[in-house]
Amino acid sequence: MAPDPRAAEMKSVASPDIVCEGLCKSFADGTQALAPLDAVFDGGKTTAFVGPSGCGKSTLLRLIAGLETPSAGAVLIGGAPPASLQRQGAIAMAFQDPSLLPWRSLRGNIALALTLAGRPADRTAVDGLIDLVGLAGFGDARPSALSGGMRQRAAIARALVTEPSLLLLDEPFGAVDELTRRQLARDLPKLWEPRGTTTLLVTHSVDEAVLLSDRVLVLSPRPAQIAADIAVSLPRPRPAGIERSENFRALVMQVSDALAEGAVA
Amino acid sequence: MTTAVGTIAQPLRSGLGSAFGVILILLAWDLAARATAGSFVLAAPAEVLNWLVANRGLMGRALAETLANAAAGFVIGNLAAILLAVVALAWPRAERAVMNLALLIFCLPLVATGPILRVLLGPGDGPQIWLAALAVYYTTLVPLMVGLRAAPASWLDLVRIYGRGRWTEIVRVRARAALPYLFAGLQIAAPAAFLGAMVGEFTGAERGMGVLTVRFIRAMDVPAIWALACVAALVSILVFAAIGWLARFVLDEKPPVIIAPAQAVGALGVTARMLRTLTLAVLALALWWAVIQIAQLNPFFAKGPDDVARALLSAPDAAETRARLGTALVETAVYVVPGWAAGLGLGAAIAIVLILFPPIAAVAMPVAVALRAIPIVTTAPLIVLVLGRGAVGTISLVAVMVFFPSLVACLHGLRQAPGQIMDVFDSYAAGPVSRLIHVRIPAMLPAFFASARMSVPAAILAVTVVEWLATGRGIGSLMALSASLSEYDMLWSAIMATAVLAVLFHAGVSALERVVLARTAPEQVG
Repeated sequence: MAPDPRAAEMKSVASPDIVCEGLCKSFADGTQALAPLDAVFDGGKTTAFVGPSGCGKSTLLRLIAGLETPSAGAVLIGGAPPASLQRQGAIAMAFQDPSLLPWRSLRGNIALALTLAGRPADRTAVDGLIDLVGLAGFGDARPSALSGGMRQRAAIARALVTEPSLLLLDEPFGAVDELTRRQLARDLPKLWEPRGTTTLLVTHSVDEAVLLSDRVLVLSPRPAQIAADIAVSLPRPRPAGIERSENFRALVMQVSDALAEGAVA
Repeated sequence: MTTAVGTIAQPLRSGLGSAFGVILILLAWDLAARATAGSFVLAAPAEVLNWLVANRGLMGRALAETLANAAAGFVIGNLAAILLAVVALAWPRAERAVMNLALLIFCLPLVATGPILRVLLGPGDGPQIWLAALAVYYTTLVPLMVGLRAAPASWLDLVRIYGRGRWTEIVRVRARAALPYLFAGLQIAAPAAFLGAMVGEFTGAERGMGVLTVRFIRAMDVPAIWALACVAALVSILVFAAIGWLARFVLDEKPPVIIAPAQAVGALGVTARMLRTLTLAVLALALWWAVIQIAQLNPFFAKGPDDVARALLSAPDAAETRARLGTALVETAVYVVPGWAAGLGLGAAIAIVLILFPPIAAVAMPVAVALRAIPIVTTAPLIVLVLGRGAVGTISLVAVMVFFPSLVACLHGLRQAPGQIMDVFDSYAAGPVSRLIHVRIPAMLPAFFASARMSVPAAILAVTVVEWLATGRGIGSLMALSASLSEYDMLWSAIMATAVLAVLFHAGVSALERVVLARTAPEQVG
């Protein structure tokens, strides 16, 4: 059967490929965060970046988000620069810090993303997401009344509420305890996987990278370069207890070894 | 952002502390009045109260007049501050120029702008209102700018990731994030507006507390002078408290204690710095000239930069003008600098002593914050009455004026010491003195310097008011004299010279601040 050209177009909008061409970033103080980087991240897939602290993972994510301007090279998302996707409200990002506005309720914080993206504030959608991230009943609470893990889940709900085509997660589970972290890593992908959202994830945890992604890129110390590119072929959605499977452990070992080698090289 | 962790004990304790402080002050006052009875200096609390009861009609009318002017000026000045802050924020390239010009205008001595506004605007309420506005706009602008910039970077990233620009950033994030800072500014602005209105009334209004003050000084009516000062102080503290209460009612978070902006970040070379100063000077002169032209002010009263240059450089009596101006400036500086230094030093020293005795510091903080609200200049007649018209009186007034903001800033800074670092010291069983030297004092320095900078215009205001009202020396007196003799060239020259010296003084403190903070708090200077 010949592929439907319209479907292909739909895919490129909903699940855009990301192309980095000679992407470079140096800061005013002279630090070079990113060596020239050429890479393609497939639409509709989840790619995880792991690497030593301060290697430039976050900078890469911010460049793709259009929050930093490249010193050289370019980022193309579905063929367009990040700014044009930003304007369509098609990018969403969960930051290291939950970054909830303290004067807004949980519901108000999530609805803010809709307002900023120029969409009507759809209360059912907001409340639905609040339930999905397990915060039912906390819609009227202020962030200060929530625990760290709850705030992080709220931030992820905010990122998802606009149904973005590109979802950027910068260590989104950083401040969460181990138990919640595992639960979030298992539950949250169910929210974006069915939509075919292109997802990029920065993390320190090798387990998390393998659990969440289709591909793990191991970055070298600054200026960041791709030290290893590891495909993760595990079933989706991930079955419970997959962390104990042989395949999973082997992949974790492979990523950890690459990380250790990259740090030496 | 600090969220209010409200325990019941805290407000109760600070309330008790304030009450205790007030009783102590009243007691000391009464004792002092008894000790100096018959010397026409100090009126006892009972005498003041009697006078107030006997003259309640007069006092009530004057207070209503001054309050109305202060309120009008408060509104105008704060709206101007908000407008300037939005301009500076929406158009970042203009920020430095806006802030520097705002500082320059704030450094214009009120006692000189008063008479000029009086001749330009006539005998009505205009000058009082404008002086009140001039007295408040900078003290609001400064914390507001801090607040508008205080939003964490990721909140702004959130706005940008949805493709929204600076305007959405200001409306959705920065404006609300700045609210607690705005309230902190408004709190300080309230007594400043009262002060501005009173200084405006000193310059020849028909009604108001300032008019009464001038009248009772001439008559040497001691209980009346004390009564006026007490009412001014009480009203200021009440308004200060009312705004604080409103802030607690409106906001979830506690208003921050903001004293002044952090130093401008960025290392600039000497050439760049000089170029910037030059640009600012040209901009200021152009603005000065443009205002006179656009408002079509009467050239007999309103002198432009060209007139001042002629008066100081090329007029036949230029040398004499320069000499008179120079002498007056030196006379003023001799009072400003020691008074400023003494007030600052005393504030810091007492803050350090207080912090070593935490229970006393807890009681002293609310009292100091309340006393900071007293428009000290309105008590100028008192201090002159008590300490005489000589150097001691004037220097003491400046010291008192600078002391309270310095004490509050330093106490706040000393308490800012990071808890985790204090824990490290505790784990080595370090004593309070060692903690003071290694943690608390370095943590205090940014607040100390911020208050040192902000005190410069206040110190100059205090000295010029005393010179103008009482001592008959220095630049304040020269300005009063030239205003009454219609020597407007001299008046404008004096204003310009005072403003330039104030800015230079301010710049000198900033330079010292940069050097010291580069060693103790590098994150503050970048």
